Amino acid sequence: MTKVVVIPEAFTLVHFESGRIQDLAAKVAGLVGLPADVEIRIEVEEQSPLGRVRVESIDPITIAVQGGAFEHAKKPRQLSDDSVVDVLGRVFHRIKDRLDPDFGKPPPDAELTLQQATAWDAYCVGRSDRLGLHPSKARRLYHFRNRHGFTDVADATFERLWNAEHLTWADIEAACAATASARQPA
Amino acid sequence: MADPKKPRAPFAPWDRRELPGTFTVEDTAKRVGHYKWVEMRLFEALGGWVATVPELDVKMRLGTHCYKHAWHSELWHKRLPELREMNPDRLTRPPNEAMEEFFKVLTEPEDQGQTIEKLVGVYRVLIPRKIAAYTYHLNNTSTITDAPTIRSLKLALNDEFDDWRDGEMLIQALIETDEEVERAAAHQTRLEKIMLRAGGVAGPGSLGSVPETMTEEVPV
Amino acid sequence: MKKNMPPDELARDGRFVRVNMVERISDPRNGRGPTGGRVGARLTPDRPGAPDAARALMHGIFVGEIQALEGAGRTCWDFEVGAGSDDVPFQLKLDMARQCWDEARHCEISVKLSEWMGTEIGEFAESTFLFEAACNPDPVLRLTGVNRALEGLAIDVFNTMKEFGNVVGDPVLEFCEDWMLADEVTHVKMGSDWLRRLTVDDPERRKRALEFQRIVDKLFSGGGFRGDDEDSPVHLARRFREMAGFTVDEIDEISDLARQARAEARARTAGATAGAAAEAG
Repeated sequence: MTKVVVIPEAFTLVHFESGRIQDLAAKVAGLVGLPADVEIRIEVEEQSPLGRVRVESIDPITIAVQGGAFEHAKKPRQLSDDSVVDVLGRVFHRIKDRLDPDFGKPPPDAELTLQQATAWDAYCVGRSDRLGLHPSKARRLYHFRNRHGFTDVADATFERLWNAEHLTWADIEAACAATASARQPA
Repeated sequence: MADPKKPRAPFAPWDRRELPGTFTVEDTAKRVGHYKWVEMRLFEALGGWVATVPELDVKMRLGTHCYKHAWHSELWHKRLPELREMNPDRLTRPPNEAMEEFFKVLTEPEDQGQTIEKLVGVYRVLIPRKIAAYTYHLNNTSTITDAPTIRSLKLALNDEFDDWRDGEMLIQALIETDEEVERAAAHQTRLEKIMLRAGGVAGPGSLGSVPETMTEEVPV
Repeated sequence: MKKNMPPDELARDGRFVRVNMVERISDPRNGRGPTGGRVGARLTPDRPGAPDAARALMHGIFVGEIQALEGAGRTCWDFEVGAGSDDVPFQLKLDMARQCWDEARHCEISVKLSEWMGTEIGEFAESTFLFEAACNPDPVLRLTGVNRALEGLAIDVFNTMKEFGNVVGDPVLEFCEDWMLADEVTHVKMGSDWLRRLTVDDPERRKRALEFQRIVDKLFSGGGFRGDDEDSPVHLARRFREMAGFTVDEIDEISDLARQARAEARARTAGATAGAAAEAG
């Protein structure tokens, strides 16, 4: 089973349990198919109620999470299992792609454009959905439309990414190019 | 084209309106005053209940209906001075004490679990009575002298029918058990009995004939 | 049915969860470092979290619309028609009933719009702060607090969301906000008109009402949530506020209040950060 380290071990500003995050992360990592011998380090910035998540490095796997990403949307400062599973399902798929030499060489997270990040997310979250992790497709579609346009081309591209299983970084870039040309005025 | 100098009948052959009507100006003003009072009590109750019902669809419908009845009360308020009642407040009153009691009981349900009672009072008892009184008035007033009242009655009735249908469908959607059927029926019976004593929204004579047991209108 | 219903009795179905202001204000994360606290940056599409921020803000608008509907409805019920200080004119009640219809429509719009944005009803916590302002027992203060302060904030929020919809090219968001914005201008105008009419012979009452409005305005500026500063998430919609009957001086005053609220929040942040550093040291 994948080893997960959660930083901090004890939370003081929010009612999170690192053990619970570890358990959920290990379960999701197994479902996504991350190698069992890797160690995943999840650094939670507990003072932030915002929801940004970033893969800081692949070797070792380090994920920086603003506390709001794991927080229950209705119960301030409480951990939400659903949020943890939703966030990690998406991020672990991204890591899996990065570890796969056939996927190609995407830029680091910090250098992704908003269009690239959202297109890749659609591909990642679609796979999470098929694993039974119950992410919100409607939410992802809205993100996608915000970045790729409120057009039929964007919606069709989203559906393709969502339902896809074996894409490469070149496919993600091609999807971005397709929606970009649909956004240009005729 | 017809000769513009040729005399024509002032009432076209298809215009069957007639002078006679059941109501005098004074009768009409009294009824309109009762209507205004009832519409006011109703829109206030609907507005107050909005915050007490947890069902989102009901909450939004009550908010919508609240305005319609407020608008009816404004129509009647504006009609009163046209009926020689220069102080509209003087005639803005219930037809009798039973009608006051009716509204007291109608607005008793407050608890979050009493949406059925709230809706039954309005949509199974009060609004059908309003439709009845407005229709009777519409069909019996002078189609020539009282045209402004007729117009307001038609506008109000249009809303009443729509709202009655909305309300009745909400009730049917909310009632799921025998016990709820009984709750609805019990509340309806309680209110109907008071309404019977009131004689309708305009008092005895709301529908023309006055039952022998209530020949005298009881002033408030 | 009683008069003056307390906010904790507001009826909701099981999807809604309420969070109170005390809980929000006493959140120990407030003021901890650069990302502490809930007030984010200006709502612009280049923010990575902008779509989610717009979704959360829209849900906040939705529950605000429910409370505005409830507040207007209670004003129809809570006061008698009359000339006493506890009474209201008949026409004011009619305006409140009209507002009920408008707010009910806004709820309907918000439900459809939220669905479009991928948000579920009750997805986020609800704060009942708006309804609390609608509980003032003085009808003039209630109207001023709700129709001028809160509906005024709604003008700012709707305008911000409308601009966001325009920039990201979301036709549904822009369309909905445009229509709701038109209604809010009407509601603020109602509040301004009634404040003037009901206090024409009572300057003391007008002063109290405006003071109450200032308190609500400052609270809703939420440490910089709304203001004229470039990075305020929600900007003062000056043109629409003027259409609604605010004078330039009054808008400037709200801007100053917002700046003051922001400075106070920053001072609290500095205090908390220093406290945290002392704890850690």
